[in-house]
Amino acid sequence: MNSSPKLRPGLWDALVVLVVAALAVGCAWTVWGGQDRGTELTAVVSVDGVETERLPLREAAGTERTIQAGGYTLRLRLTETEVWVESADCPTQDCVHTGHISRGGQSIVCLPARVIIQLEGGESVDTGVDAVIG
Amino acid sequence: MKLTTKQLTLCGILTTLALALSVAENQIPLSLAIPIPGIKLGLANIVTVFALYVLGPAQAVLILLARCLLGAVFAGNMNALLFSLMGGFAAMGVMILLSRLRGLSVYGVSIGGAAAHNCGQIAAAVLSLGNTAPLYYLPILLGVSLLTGALTGLMAACLFRALAHTDLMKG
Repeated sequence: MNSSPKLRPGLWDALVVLVVAALAVGCAWTVWGGQDRGTELTAVVSVDGVETERLPLREAAGTERTIQAGGYTLRLRLTETEVWVESADCPTQDCVHTGHISRGGQSIVCLPARVIIQLEGGESVDTGVDAVIG
Repeated sequence: MKLTTKQLTLCGILTTLALALSVAENQIPLSLAIPIPGIKLGLANIVTVFALYVLGPAQAVLILLARCLLGAVFAGNMNALLFSLMGGFAAMGVMILLSRLRGLSVYGVSIGGAAAHNCGQIAAAVLSLGNTAPLYYLPILLGVSLLTGALTGLMAACLFRALAHTDLMKG
């Protein structure tokens, strides 16, 4: 045994929790706060790190797009306010489970297909934390 | 590095256990509750914490490396190797440093490791996709790592208590 571990949490552990929480808040502030507001909400599709399509939601509303990449096919649905992946034949299905995205900065990532659908712009709406947890 | 037969056997058993825990946690659909690519409980981290204290950093790194390589081979997905290596080594680095701080318990070490693991995985996603969009998930993943880290810390603490009377813990 190299060193005997302490098994009860103490004040120093609380400090680690505080540091991680502060990092999370700092990150949220930086990543979620700096979105370009006031421009038209646009879905940007990237495959393998290269932008392939820009779809202003106002124009693309009510349409469906098929994205083929990495041997997989994603069916993307767009409305004036939301974007979501209706179905995909990738093994993880994370892109489908992500559900609807509607605010600038939000994205749907499909790692197996190496596809990112990211929303840019949008009206100035509340930048509060997503109700993802709980 | 020279290993005794006992150490080598223990490394083998712990690698197997870590792989089994990785497979087991894939059956827990955490991504349905929190739909983020790559989100998981990090149960294999219990093995890393245990190995770090019982066998030391060098052997813990060997176990981690074997787990990442074999895990990618078993899953038939070498693309996932970059993710598990970057996540695993970020967690290992932070946990080696934190485990040297006397005041910290396995809970603090485990939470720090879980947070670092998520940072490593997001870095892998940014590198792999060539896009900073995955950073959007980092704040949520850091928040989740407080819970998953505390959970794996609790399980590691239970493990250390249960094994306190064995030769394993007395060196």
